[in-house]
Amino acid sequence: MRQYFMGKGRVLKIYKVCRLIIVHALLIYTPCSLAVEVITHTDASVSLTQVKDLRAIFSMRLRYWPDGSKIRVFVLPDNNALHKKFVKEKLHMFPHQLRRTWDRMTYTGTGQPPVTVNSNAEMLEKIQNTPNAIGYIEINEANK
Amino acid sequence: MKLCRLKIILYCLSLFSYIAGAAEHILDAVQSDATSADISQQGFDWTPYQKAWHDDVQLHGFLSQGLFNSSGNNVFGNSKNSVSAGLTEVGLNISYQALNNLSFALQGLYRRAGESTGSAGEVSLDFGFVDLTLIDLSAIRIGVRGGRIKNSWGLYNETRDVSFTHPTIFLPLIYFERSRSMMLAMDGGQVYADYNSAIGDFSFKFNYGFMNDNKELLLSITANPNVGGHLDPEKSFMTQLRYDIDGGKYIFALSYADINMGYVAYGAFDPYAGMQTHIYPIVVSAQYNGESFNLTGEYSYQWNEFSNFSNRADARPISEHWYIQAGYRLLDNVEFTVRYDASVQDISDRKGELFQQLTGLPSHLAYTKDWVVGLRWDITPAWMVRTEYHWIHGASMVSALDNPDAMNIAKDWNIYALQVSFRF
Repeated sequence: MRQYFMGKGRVLKIYKVCRLIIVHALLIYTPCSLAVEVITHTDASVSLTQVKDLRAIFSMRLRYWPDGSKIRVFVLPDNNALHKKFVKEKLHMFPHQLRRTWDRMTYTGTGQPPVTVNSNAEMLEKIQNTPNAIGYIEINEANK
Repeated sequence: MKLCRLKIILYCLSLFSYIAGAAEHILDAVQSDATSADISQQGFDWTPYQKAWHDDVQLHGFLSQGLFNSSGNNVFGNSKNSVSAGLTEVGLNISYQALNNLSFALQGLYRRAGESTGSAGEVSLDFGFVDLTLIDLSAIRIGVRGGRIKNSWGLYNETRDVSFTHPTIFLPLIYFERSRSMMLAMDGGQVYADYNSAIGDFSFKFNYGFMNDNKELLLSITANPNVGGHLDPEKSFMTQLRYDIDGGKYIFALSYADINMGYVAYGAFDPYAGMQTHIYPIVVSAQYNGESFNLTGEYSYQWNEFSNFSNRADARPISEHWYIQAGYRLLDNVEFTVRYDASVQDISDRKGELFQQLTGLPSHLAYTKDWVVGLRWDITPAWMVRTEYHWIHGASMVSALDNPDAMNIAKDWNIYALQVSFRF
């Protein structure tokens, strides 16, 4: 089994990158400012075009992809400019609203908040290497 | 009684963790079979990732320290015309999502809050429960929890010890400090249901079991500092229906509780032997959370029944607490808050005249009116510092333990407070 994986290692990696689906969800493109895009690493066929679906995922209310695998949510810190932009443009919310929801789960034991990463590069790396992950990146970085 | 209940909780937790562990082994075995079948069919495997247990474990915590200076009365230790560092809160929690529908969570709390905990503070199990989701569809989730579960009561009760989650250092009077340990958590079970619809998210919780006993409440009921026994929790429930519109831009909640306490007498001649306490409050909550402006109001109407005294008549006072609070974000991480808060112990005796006649204590122990202004600065997502000033008329909220000389409790007084908090 292990040998099998090693032999196919190269294929695996390329395939993984192909699996990095970039979802165009309500993108308002303005040329002078940075744009934010939702990215996922999943085999489940999902269409994340609705604000309410993204909201449910990032509020940790929707916890599983349609194929039953657990959604792994990654976010940048509350005070990060891209995070603020993402929450406003993609979720139509404010960072303090999300924080309230996450804190209630965390400190009552009723749920687990998303994993916080510290940079755009770390976000991209986590999404690429974590199956069933979802996060967001600056669109220019994704096109590189 | 208390120790016995704790033992039962711990036993349940260990039993469930054992079952969950065994179930996970079986599931892993099934999953790895399925994976090898996929490989032979598709020629390559694109899910080599084996879920590691530590991916589903999270550790979080918080720490806060307050400084208080007051005139007239003490808060959290010796703060009158002095500075008290009497409020320290440290929490550490671990949660484990063992299976898609089974999780465990546990939080330990260290708290030092003036005389009520003593200068050494107290360590307690804040919550510790097993969570089993019975139905988990994309829009509906229904499940049960068993163990020690936080009580959803108004907007702030369940996270009242986590400074980050509420706007001012002192909570509004609805969250009476002396009822804190009683209202905090339920030893028993919870049924919960969440429904996410196009018009908003509904969340229902029903907790059933035993609340915790409380020395300050007993002092308040008996108005006797020498009372020797302690309250004995009996079967109680607490329930909440909450409605969030637009991801929490508008929040409405209705909470109701039915709390019963008996009394464990101290010695054969305890005049309070047989005393029964029945408290059933309702709270209506509403909140608006805009980008920079927020507005919160909560109203509580509380029926109390204190009966079976051998030395005095039954009492059925109705207490009323309400507040209105506005917040404005001057910057993304700097928020200004102003609140008016009012509370009476008995709505038929708003000025406390009857209370004074019956107990001989000052009438202003029967009500409180409090104006608060506060400023909060979230330096980073992990560090926060805030400060506030209170103008208070009345003293129903003062702790009898921090202010043992009831005859000298001031009617008009002020508090200045500062708090530093950290979380991860």
